[in-house]
Amino acid sequence: MTVATATLGILALGLLAYAWQRGDGSHWRAARQGWGTMKRTMPLLMVAFVIVGYVNVLSPQDLVQAWIGPESGWRGLVLAEGVGMVLPGGPYVVFPLIAVLYGAGAGLGPAVTMITSWATLALVSVTFELSFMGWRFSAVRWGLALAFPLLAGVIAQLVFSA
Amino acid sequence: MKDRTTLVLLGVALGLAGLAWWGGGPELALAGLAQGGRTLLSVIPLLIAAFLIAGLTQTLVTQEVVSRWLGVESGWRGIALACLAGALMPGGPYVYYPIAAALLAAGASLGALVAFVTAKNLWTVTRLPMEFALLGPQLTVTRFLVTLILPPLLGFLAEALFGRRVERIREAVNS
Repeated sequence: MTVATATLGILALGLLAYAWQRGDGSHWRAARQGWGTMKRTMPLLMVAFVIVGYVNVLSPQDLVQAWIGPESGWRGLVLAEGVGMVLPGGPYVVFPLIAVLYGAGAGLGPAVTMITSWATLALVSVTFELSFMGWRFSAVRWGLALAFPLLAGVIAQLVFSA
Repeated sequence: MKDRTTLVLLGVALGLAGLAWWGGGPELALAGLAQGGRTLLSVIPLLIAAFLIAGLTQTLVTQEVVSRWLGVESGWRGIALACLAGALMPGGPYVYYPIAAALLAAGASLGALVAFVTAKNLWTVTRLPMEFALLGPQLTVTRFLVTLILPPLLGFLAEALFGRRVERIREAVNS
């Protein structure tokens, strides 16, 4: 998180300096524009973060471990995709959880499916996507991506697990 | 449009709060709220930088530039460029969606935007070291290799199947 903040901070400052040296006041227009967007979306963001908090607190970790065993096959892949969608939070929360499952004997295929599903389909991210991009964009992107975590899991299982 | 989304999300939040109360009493309901508040506070510096970048993107990058590099006419070059931008973008969904929305408003194509978001989700350079450290080399390398094709592929699919609807998506976001 600190690396991300530093990277974004430097990027923002660099762009701001570039805007300022153009000498046409575009740095002020940019700041006002950013502030306007922030003010408009703040209520949405606050609600989204309340959802993030509850998903974290209610964390379905016990259930996850009970569902995805080592001998799962297709059922395991489908479950892994579903679990990936509802996994809460960022990589700091999700990777340790998947590491536990993998260490406990979850197959390579379901593990790959779960990571891919979490990365592309996570419902927590979709709440942000809906706020900023509208439901049509979410429907197109999410709908197109839906089949690929399963496919990735199958390929991983067939090609890489030897 | 945005008000309706807020209401739907508010409903989900209330439902989850009810679930927490039902499962763990008022303490758990409060704990969820506090956890959300703490997370929000911790990402405020990121949010400020992200909204500043979104504003700067809109001001510095003219519509002509976005249309030329990421617009409908940009074809596979636009999708490749969007993939690269997504891979290098740090931060969570509250960072890259405001920037994606700014690019959408400035005339980016549907394919480029889907490629940008998918590359951010699957190629992201800033997350890979952590994935490698926590999940180990075998799982990380396998996961990366089998999903390598997806950002450009989904971009092409979105553009080919739904590219003509991008104006309606743009209108809904601008209103």
